[in-house]
Amino acid sequence: MMHASTLLTIVLMATVTYLTRALGYLVLRNRSLSERAVTVMEAAPGCVLISVIAPYFVSERPTDLVALAATLLAATRLPMLPTVIIGVAVSGLLQHITG
Amino acid sequence: MEQRASPIAISSPEHKCREMRRGLVDALPVMAGFIPFALVLGAQATQKGFSALQVLLLTGLNFGGGSEFAAVALWTSPPHVLLIVAITFLVNSRHLLMGAVLAPFLRHLPKRKVLPALFFMCDESWAMGLADARQRAQAGKRHAFSLRYYFGVSLGLYLTWIAFTTIGAIAGPLIGDIETWGFHMAFPAVFLVLLRGMWKGLRAACPWLVSLTVAAATYLVAAGAWYVATGALSGLAAAYALAGIRT
Repeated sequence: MMHASTLLTIVLMATVTYLTRALGYLVLRNRSLSERAVTVMEAAPGCVLISVIAPYFVSERPTDLVALAATLLAATRLPMLPTVIIGVAVSGLLQHITG
Repeated sequence: MEQRASPIAISSPEHKCREMRRGLVDALPVMAGFIPFALVLGAQATQKGFSALQVLLLTGLNFGGGSEFAAVALWTSPPHVLLIVAITFLVNSRHLLMGAVLAPFLRHLPKRKVLPALFFMCDESWAMGLADARQRAQAGKRHAFSLRYYFGVSLGLYLTWIAFTTIGAIAGPLIGDIETWGFHMAFPAVFLVLLRGMWKGLRAACPWLVSLTVAAATYLVAAGAWYVATGALSGLAAAYALAGIRT
């Protein structure tokens, strides 16, 4: 049985996401945005994503901080899958070594 | 019934098919790139108590990877409905801009065709549809945006995304407890790679640093997932202020 709030969240997410897709076309197609508004909108996704992972940057576990540093380094030069593998491997190894 | 013989409906069935195939073929490398993201999302979702069906429902109805990763990261049982919906809006607010950019290329198409097509607009399908339209416009074609090409791209990306997130959800439970194996690091890894893809230089990333600092500070002092809201909003405020200084 699916929890009602789970279904509700999924449906609302889908609605909001579709609105962002349709409204840009419907509302903004005959207007021009200010440069300032464009800058803010371009920054928005990054601001959200980094906020979501912020707790990792202040983790109580030193092993996680080291693993995060390695992941950050990997992310600047490697594609998605190797970066994930490095992050997971470093974190897993350190946890086993330090017990 | 609608009139069929519209003056611009010159495309034959084979032509339509060819355009769709052209889009699908162009999308193949991107589809391959989607697979690891999709598997990781599906696996992470099951760690938060999602069933494979729920993952299929989420990715099939929402079809926006960034917001899905964010929602799964913030997921609790039961979920904070408003918080997750607000975050979904913030992550996907870039679609507003993308739709506005695409609009001039869609003038020859009726709304009843554009509105369903926009459901499939993601970063990649938008970029590819736009690039194709610009190329065709340069080649002197009228009605440069090819809806069939865009649908070919979209179909490939959409089916890849929902299929592999579901497969990830089915395979996820086989991994077991993620923390002991370091699998929780997959979250920041995915997000950092996504951020790298959005990187436009240090100045443009200043708001991100503000977000990170405020979010981390909020996380340390306040319970719950408020850190996402305070972090995101302070970053937006910083972006607004910085844009004012520069111009």
